[in-house]
Amino acid sequence: MARVITITSGKGGVGKTTTTANLGTALAMRGARVAVMDADIGLRNLDVVMGLENRIVYDLVDVVEGRARLRQALIKDKRLPELCLLPAAQTRDKDAVSPEQMVYLTNQLRTEFDFILIDSPAGIEGGFRNAIVGADEVIIVTTPEVSAVRDADRIVGLVEAAEKGTPSLIVNRIKPRLVNRGEMLSVEDVIELLAINLLGIVPDDEAIVTSTNRGEAAVYDQHSLAGRAFLNIARRLNGEEVPFLPLQDQPGVLERFFGIFGRRRT
Amino acid sequence: MGFLGNLFGGGRRDRSASVAKQRLMMVLVDDRYKLTPDMLEQMKIEMAEVLSRYLPHVDSDQIEVTLLRGEANDHLKAEIPLKRGRDE
Ligand SMILES: Nc1ncnc2c1ncn2[C@@H]1O[C@H](COP(=O)(O)OP(=O)(O)OP(=O)(O)O)[C@@H](O)[C@H]1O
Ligand SMILES: [Mg+2]
Repeated sequence: MARVITITSGKGGVGKTTTTANLGTALAMRGARVAVMDADIGLRNLDVVMGLENRIVYDLVDVVEGRARLRQALIKDKRLPELCLLPAAQTRDKDAVSPEQMVYLTNQLRTEFDFILIDSPAGIEGGFRNAIVGADEVIIVTTPEVSAVRDADRIVGLVEAAEKGTPSLIVNRIKPRLVNRGEMLSVEDVIELLAINLLGIVPDDEAIVTSTNRGEAAVYDQHSLAGRAFLNIARRLNGEEVPFLPLQDQPGVLERFFGIFGRRRT
Repeated sequence: MGFLGNLFGGGRRDRSASVAKQRLMMVLVDDRYKLTPDMLEQMKIEMAEVLSRYLPHVDSDQIEVTLLRGEANDHLKAEIPLKRGRDE
């Protein structure tokens, strides 16, 4: 049974596209057939984050409007044959697709893939509604900041009102040193405020910048803590119980120390 | 705390994370229940009025109302300090 999972946030720029690219790649690395869909129509981004921008011929709106078949629009990943991208249209606006068309599209994808990950646009308007309408599950990404958490709370309410169940949470861009100094909301704080289940914690990591520059997912980078955090989230999505990663800036002695004593686990 | 505390940034000011958490708590009450800080103040004043009918003087300034968030339900928790009767 295919699972359609939408990644959304409310506030912009908190890491939805980064999360979609890395989770899609991680799930495909583990052998699943994965389609990632860019639902941010007019602000196409998932293609460049995944390094597939040069291969686009048709997009989601072309499929919806009958200019291309779904198979023609799906772009195969460079490394993983079981990973495909359905790009957003760049020159159209969010009203180019209706909710019914989105449902139809996700249902078509269900027949060919195990996971369909939908990268939602920011905000609470049509684009967001289109992104969740076909979903079975919703993941909310937030950063440990007042405005991002506030917007995430709005989204929890909207997702529940749309009868998509209670979303799960990824806290992105955690800076352990700031948290330890009491100058950044901790993951525990965020969970207490939002009262939803934690799916993963992703540290703020320079490797995200460099991997995005190259158009390669950070999950390929063995040394990236964020990459490892995304790999763990993918395993949790598969139903595995995976302990949260120890969060330290430099992997090594400290990390092992925290690993042994089980403190500050992500 | 004094000198050492100040040296390590633990002076009088609260850590910004706990300030952020408190502010968020209030903002989320407002967003979810349309309960503004003004209304919360008014609620405390009226609570103090009612309580004072049954208990020795309750001061609305002393009432602390917080929202506890749960998975299915949120809870409003009020802490109401009471003056000890036997001192009167
Ligand atoms: N864990 C991280 N560590 C460092 N940088 C990160 C991390 N996560 C995301 N970023 C950076 O933050 C920026 C925004 O990320 P991204 O584009 O994934 O957010 P978004 O939620 O999709 O934004 P939008 O709302 O505009 O679609 C990017 O430059 C990305 O590289
Ligand atoms: Mg994005």
